[in-house]
Amino acid sequence: MTRSIEVRGLSRTFHTTVRRPGLAGTLRSLVNPERVAKHAVSDITFDVAPGELLALLGPNGAGKSTTIKMLTGILTPTSGEARVAGVVPYQERERNARNIGAVFGQRTQLWWDLPVRESFSILRDIYEVPKAEHATRLGEFDDILELSSFWDTRVRHLSLGQRVRCDLAAALLHDPPVVFLDEPTIGMDVVVKEQVREFLRHQVEERGRTVLLTTHDMTEVERLAERVVLINHGRLVLDGSLDEIRRKFGSTWQVRATLADAHTEVTALPGIAVLRQEGPQVVFGPESPDGPDSPTVHQALKAVIERYEVTGVAIDEADLEDVMRAAYVHAEAV
Amino acid sequence: MNGMRIAWRITRLNFRAQLEYRTEFLLMIAIGAIWQVSVIVFATVLLTRFTGMGGWDSSEVLLIPATRMLAHGLFVLLLGRVHGAGRQIQEGRIDIYLTRPMPVHRQLQLAFFPTNAIGDLTVAVGLMVGALSRSQLDWTPGRISYLIAALIGGMFLEAALFTAITCAALRFPAADYWSRWLEELLGTFGSYPLNVLPQAVGSFLTYGLPLAFVAYFPAAVLTGHGHDTGVPYWLAALSPLLGVVAYLGSRVLWRWSLRHYAGVNG
Amino acid sequence: MAVLHAWRAARVTPLGELHAPPRMTAVLLRLTVQVVLVASLWHGLYAHTGTTAGLAEGQAVSYAVLAVLASRLRELDQYAGRDTVLQHMHFGTIVYWYLRPVPPQRYHALRALGEQLYGFAWALGGYLVCLAAGVVDPPKSLAVAGVFFVSLLLGQWVLYYVMLTLDQLCFWTVRNNAAMLILIFAQNLLSGVYAPLWFFPDWFITLSGFLPFQATLSVPLSLYIGRIPLSDAGGQLAIQACWVAVLHLFTRFLWRRAARRVISQGG
Repeated sequence: MTRSIEVRGLSRTFHTTVRRPGLAGTLRSLVNPERVAKHAVSDITFDVAPGELLALLGPNGAGKSTTIKMLTGILTPTSGEARVAGVVPYQERERNARNIGAVFGQRTQLWWDLPVRESFSILRDIYEVPKAEHATRLGEFDDILELSSFWDTRVRHLSLGQRVRCDLAAALLHDPPVVFLDEPTIGMDVVVKEQVREFLRHQVEERGRTVLLTTHDMTEVERLAERVVLINHGRLVLDGSLDEIRRKFGSTWQVRATLADAHTEVTALPGIAVLRQEGPQVVFGPESPDGPDSPTVHQALKAVIERYEVTGVAIDEADLEDVMRAAYVHAEAV
Repeated sequence: MNGMRIAWRITRLNFRAQLEYRTEFLLMIAIGAIWQVSVIVFATVLLTRFTGMGGWDSSEVLLIPATRMLAHGLFVLLLGRVHGAGRQIQEGRIDIYLTRPMPVHRQLQLAFFPTNAIGDLTVAVGLMVGALSRSQLDWTPGRISYLIAALIGGMFLEAALFTAITCAALRFPAADYWSRWLEELLGTFGSYPLNVLPQAVGSFLTYGLPLAFVAYFPAAVLTGHGHDTGVPYWLAALSPLLGVVAYLGSRVLWRWSLRHYAGVNG
Repeated sequence: MAVLHAWRAARVTPLGELHAPPRMTAVLLRLTVQVVLVASLWHGLYAHTGTTAGLAEGQAVSYAVLAVLASRLRELDQYAGRDTVLQHMHFGTIVYWYLRPVPPQRYHALRALGEQLYGFAWALGGYLVCLAAGVVDPPKSLAVAGVFFVSLLLGQWVLYYVMLTLDQLCFWTVRNNAAMLILIFAQNLLSGVYAPLWFFPDWFITLSGFLPFQATLSVPLSLYIGRIPLSDAGGQLAIQACWVAVLHLFTRFLWRRAARRVISQGG
């Protein structure tokens, strides 16, 4: 198939009743309920190719989780359609279930009181995975995620990092071509985060899985995603590769200077703006990056050193967080 | 005094919080009442069928479930959060309580308002009124004060038992199970004159699980059956005091357990 | 066919209990103490009375003890394993029930089957011990035993649907403690767990005839002790079967509506 995930004009509206205060209000609500429509997702269209890792970004409450729920078959869209690995998820839920794996951040699908391996066996049976295949795959996961040191412990005794690694393995046991990850590394330490990222990279590159990843961690996006989709207020506002977004919204350079005297008054230089100042650390960037007279990073460096007394200096490509912030702001303005 | 003022304010807020979910609030009052009605029906149904229980007159026997239920109702209202505290412990709330400048036990009790206690107490008071009206005793001030003491003592004794279990719950999440069993036992066997049971069983419910001291012994003393209980008269008469002592002991145990609290996993 | 393959799911709660020996000893202790207390109580009550409400002493004691043993059948501790539907709704892990190739209703049924079978093993063990100790009277005849067994199976089926309805309620209300407690209370009272229904006034017995609860426990036990004669057995079994059918349709309807309500937190 040419496309792993196809989304066309997907929309979802929730109708909630407004609760009026007081006893009179309750009675009125019973007789004449006032309903309010909340457009969680409006008209979203995008594609994901097989073997691609797409990062789904957006502020809290933007509609990311609702979109994922529709793609996993839990919610039925109000309008529009979607296909995952050729199957319409909300119409053929069971068939879709065999094609997807999902990990929802803090929520575990493992059985709390049983050893992890027991959970794996149950899932193996539910998904009808042959025993030999199951053993090989578990061995493979163990190589990168180091599960064997704790897979005989009961889930309630695992740390967060261990539990999420087990959940990842559980989601991929049945070899699904499409994987949905909703904030999988939230709250983890850096070592485990790197392990998980390496695992995901391996799954995408060697095994050709399609991964749809929701995250707030920009380092993760930087290291894993080739493409980014930005959703805000239920609408799709950006769809492009990281490079495109950087070029569109990122200042192309930054100069970080540590001033000798923290109380020096810092003013902007021609074409150079002060992006941030934290005590003696000052970050300079281009005032208008797309402008014709925008100074190069070397010109800026020279100007800064000439003007101020600095004890340290560094040149940097723009932080992805700043890029995304600019993108969000731009999206709000549009 | 400041502590009492804060506790009262929090209780009022908790009550308002319960009012937020109006249907739930009304239903909880109902369930409090219905649950107790079951005990009443059970007790009265059996009381009519099995007259002369253990030598007790039907007008006197009603005093036992009445005392027990009213003591239980008071317990639920004032100290009841200690029953089922396992839930709060599992949610990690003890860790939060430990960081605040208020005694943990008090915070445990102020976690929410026990709406079902309203129904509980309504029914219990009704039963007590019924029992007193049917009673043929002479209600002297002495008797009345002893009854009040018995109610308070019974409340403290139940609180002591549940607090002891909660101390175990600080370490073992499964202790909640014992909590539920204890409530069942108290409800089922607390309403009978225990001399209908064989000696061994009766002794278990006196010395093993001090059920008898909650309602049976005080009622026996009040109705003049104090010498047929199988324990020395003075022991039966001191039930209220034993309740208070037991509660103080359980609070010492609580303080010790809290010092050895190691947090919850997951 | 994933249902048959997913048989391992039925083992979850029993296995969880087997992994925690303290929990099992606690249950064993509780059952023993409860049986002893209940038997003593009823013997004590009958000390000065003959047959009452159609129940002789032996019958009443047998009924009460069997009721205690039967409580084991659907009482396993899901809460400690964060496995009640209410907890799944609270933590949001209910979402995974809808992401697997096994439909949620079949998964739930499998889990319940495992639990009831495991509980039945316990109850059977307890029953044999009580029978040997003379605490419980054996059934009058083989026919009675047979009818009792069929009635017990039907009763357990009805009980499954009652518990299922309780669980399904969780899909609708965030705070549904009270409704749940009321249902649990009704189940306990009207199935005869607190006391044999026969002791209650006639209007009460008639009323409970309109509810499914007495079909779960009271009918099988009454057949066992002979309070309901064999001649009436057929009618009673038919009533039980009717409840199975009615509740089956009702819970199926609820599952469909519940699926629309899986709107866990988060945006």
